[in-house]
Amino acid sequence: MSDSDVKEPEATTEDGDAKGDARDNESPAPKGDAPGEGAKADAAKADAAKDSAKSDAPPKSGPYRPTPGKPLIEMSNVTKTFHKGKEPLTVLDGLTLTIAEGAFEALMGPSGSGKSTLLNLIAGLDRPTSGTARVAGHNLEKMSDGELAKFRAQNIGFIFQAYNLLPVLTAVENVELPLLLTKVPSGERRKRAETALRVVGLSDRMGHYPRQLSGGQEQRVAIARAIVNDPTILVCDEPTGDLDRKSADDILALLTKLNQDFKKTILMVTHDPSAAERATTTRHLNKGRLD
Amino acid sequence: MLLKIAWRNLLRNSGRTLLTVLGAACALLTFVMLRTVVSSWNSGAEYAAKDRLGTRHKVSFVIQLPKKYVDDIRAVPGVKQATWANWFGARDPRQPNEFFANMAVDAPSFLEVMDELVLPDDQKKAWLEDKKGAIVGDALAKKLGVKVGDKITLEGSIYPGDWEFNIRGIYTASRRSLDRSQFLFHWSYMNDSLPEARRDEIGWVMIRVSNVAQSAQIAQSIDRVFEERDTQTVTMSERQLQASFMAMFSALLKALDIVSVIILAIMMMVLGNTIAMGVRERTREYGVLRAIGFSPWHIRSFVLGEAAVLGLFAGVAGIGLAYPVVDRGLGQWLEENMGGWFPYFRVEPSTMVTTVVIAIGLSALASLLPVLQAGRISVTDALRRVG
Repeated sequence: MSDSDVKEPEATTEDGDAKGDARDNESPAPKGDAPGEGAKADAAKADAAKDSAKSDAPPKSGPYRPTPGKPLIEMSNVTKTFHKGKEPLTVLDGLTLTIAEGAFEALMGPSGSGKSTLLNLIAGLDRPTSGTARVAGHNLEKMSDGELAKFRAQNIGFIFQAYNLLPVLTAVENVELPLLLTKVPSGERRKRAETALRVVGLSDRMGHYPRQLSGGQEQRVAIARAIVNDPTILVCDEPTGDLDRKSADDILALLTKLNQDFKKTILMVTHDPSAAERATTTRHLNKGRLD
Repeated sequence: MLLKIAWRNLLRNSGRTLLTVLGAACALLTFVMLRTVVSSWNSGAEYAAKDRLGTRHKVSFVIQLPKKYVDDIRAVPGVKQATWANWFGARDPRQPNEFFANMAVDAPSFLEVMDELVLPDDQKKAWLEDKKGAIVGDALAKKLGVKVGDKITLEGSIYPGDWEFNIRGIYTASRRSLDRSQFLFHWSYMNDSLPEARRDEIGWVMIRVSNVAQSAQIAQSIDRVFEERDTQTVTMSERQLQASFMAMFSALLKALDIVSVIILAIMMMVLGNTIAMGVRERTREYGVLRAIGFSPWHIRSFVLGEAAVLGLFAGVAGIGLAYPVVDRGLGQWLEENMGGWFPYFRVEPSTMVTTVVIAIGLSALASLLPVLQAGRISVTDALRRVG
């Protein structure tokens, strides 16, 4: 399979707006390097949101266009039940949650409380058993696997506890991965990946393989990978769980910067109270319900 | 980038990949050898001259025909020349275990019909003038260690006794239709030495026709001539004649075909196991790729691409092993020592291409199950996997 075989996810609203091109110009690269450009992009987003708001029907697939005043994540009476053999196990029990765009929220709770399950639902990795999950204008519970994959590619940036970089790729190649799902040309992909790595302070480690990096550096590469496609939401599952205090602080500072400077909405699952302190809001989950 | 990932994933566990490729290459080497045995065995028929027919006893090769049939055959319209031969079945007492074809032939007409036989003029003249003269193919001459001017005694079995011959020529062949490991001598020498009751009998007749397009009609005409006689004939193209001879070994050839299939099946399982192990080890990575938006189709393509590359390596390595072993080693030995059975024992380019295509195809086929599994991976389950 060649690179050209990778199709860009369809990026049209129901009224037929093509969004792919606009999105291609909204990578973190120009924003980071030239704040003025970022402001223009934000203005463009706002204009686009006005257009989008004219239609009540949400886009079935495609990148999110921010709508000021509207919540970004709306979970309503969400239940998630797993089956262990014949025994049903309810992990989320009628949960209702709203998160506004631009928020930096921490989700805390004991093991088995449903934090990761909730994160998976918001990120479109799973569907609720019942209830509605509306994220970035998409009703996730109604979407097919393929539509969810496109949704994730266009709207979600993942940051995992174990970094989850591909060991056979260098840092810059790992960061390029999400761009393979777009029509961005090869040379441009590389430029954007390099810019994303510069944003996370790893311009001198681009050609290094994950095994040649420290844990903190690996997580920075993972963050660069998460932001290279300019997603609406950054979903972080214990991003500092495997790091020492110093590296953890650096990563949290980076996330704060992404939230404040790049207006990324961040949802972070953590056990670490000091990590949660960086968030603007902290929610506690217990036995599948929010306290 | 995606090909790069497939390539690097293969090199990730280079020891395992190397062993898998070598294992598959050995299987492919065996496959190539078996295919070459079959194709070489059949090459006599494949390379048979198109303008030649053969006439034998209707019942069997081993029953003889009256010599006077040759003149009747020469009189059939469309027949350009006819010659005859007897299977002599003698052996060299110095090398009793070495099999080689030795035949009594009518030299002048034989040389006309078998025009691909290349013999220097002086050697041809010497052979034609010496009743005890014999010519041998260059491959056989090397095996027997004889040269022009040597005397050799063969021990007869069908025609008992010690038969003395003078080696008058070493022939080669301008086409592959002629076996270069035959021993040919004058039919008259044999016939004149036989008791009266056994004289003037011939094994088969070889005919050259003037028009290839009419071969079938000429063959029918020949057989019609002897239809009402005590001894009836069957005439067929040289290719059919060879094929009917090879049919005696059809069970063996079928067995070789079956062994080839079994070997390929083993190779497929070796490749499939390696691919499946790779998929199992990389489940979490596939989960990550799925999480960031790659579709199940992408993941299947990753695995399939990796399998195809692995098959390509195995195929190329198999051919790389087969060429020196078959073409440079075993093939030369077989051609020199068993030229009667294997006149041309070389790996054909078509066999090489087939082998590589089969290796890629079977590797892809072996990866089907892992491919399906990889495509069905649950993202959340995959991300929970450790390692």
